[in-house]
Amino acid sequence: MGTRNQLWSIAKTSAIGSAVGLAISDRYVTIVSMRGDSMHPTLTASDSAFRGDVLLAERGCLDKYKFSRGDVVIFKCPSDHKEDFVKRLVALPGEWIQIPTSREIIKIPAGHCWVEGDNAARSWDSRSFGPIPLGLIKGRVTHIIWPPSKMGRLERKCPEGRVSPF
Amino acid sequence: MGTRNQLWSIAKTSAIGSAVGLAISDRYVTIVSMRGDSMHPTLTASDSAFRGSIVDAVSTDHYYQKAWTVGLFWNPCSMDFVLTRLLEPGDVLLAERGCLDKYKFSRGDVVIFKCPSDHKEDFVKRLVALPGEWIQIPTSREIIKIPAGHCWVEGDNAARSWDSRSFGPIPLGLIKGRVTHIIWPPSKMGRLERKCPEGRVSPF
Repeated sequence: MGTRNQLWSIAKTSAIGSAVGLAISDRYVTIVSMRGDSMHPTLTASDSAFRGDVLLAERGCLDKYKFSRGDVVIFKCPSDHKEDFVKRLVALPGEWIQIPTSREIIKIPAGHCWVEGDNAARSWDSRSFGPIPLGLIKGRVTHIIWPPSKMGRLERKCPEGRVSPF
Repeated sequence: MGTRNQLWSIAKTSAIGSAVGLAISDRYVTIVSMRGDSMHPTLTASDSAFRGSIVDAVSTDHYYQKAWTVGLFWNPCSMDFVLTRLLEPGDVLLAERGCLDKYKFSRGDVVIFKCPSDHKEDFVKRLVALPGEWIQIPTSREIIKIPAGHCWVEGDNAARSWDSRSFGPIPLGLIKGRVTHIIWPPSKMGRLERKCPEGRVSPF
């Protein structure tokens, strides 16, 4: 009788704990693991057991629209909604950006943004699929929390000379 | 001492309850309130007091009140006449989010998605075409292919709907949920039917 109550109490606590954890993860802050080389050397992936750098991402930016140029964001791939990408936000709505290969200048439409990986040679980003709607962004990476040698805040970094607000 | 413990216990229960409610609402099923006329007569909106805090559907024009009526519509998917309940302003809908993980979208579903040109606004429209299909744009009569990972959404009330005919196909990643039921008012409670437009979509 006592054991049964204990088990029930443990089950209840676990269910509540996971619900609270899910709510926090979906709305405030979450932890993601990096795969792919598109952000090398800022963020690295590897074949280790931890599958690369582990990042801390905050979701408060979604409600309050606190995106800034140079932020590293997580977003759903526009051509495959099941995959998530991690890239740097390069241009915001209304700004003009120069596409490196064709050297043409385009304007980012309202509600969209331009994302690019730091490792330009191995990054599939807005240079291929164009500006993405801001609605696809799921969070903003603020810190690297693993490995300990790279622990710390992720800096904002803007590419030079390619983006203009007018 | 006893009162303080009670207050603390109440506060703790409320916090846990809201966290559980949030988790369920974000991941499994949520309740939204309709605004805007783009889905009339299937879903109608107004400026009633029952505006939901989760969703504000598109409403670029003024609101107008309409008497509640029942309409007879031809449903090409099931090949018979369907008594479609018309939604009145302030109708509350039940939306499920399980479709996002398992990709359970079907042509004719009513979906909630973030507006591609303003990520703070949510739209409620019907899913008309899936990735890889060809759709005919009514005004220009040209036929385009829906790119991979995108879909075509249109409101039932074509005259008053700002949808894919204006902003093109939208990425499936913008979809936040699928409307399954109308849960208010009680006279219109029930499941929302799938409805496909005739002769405009082709899989090849």
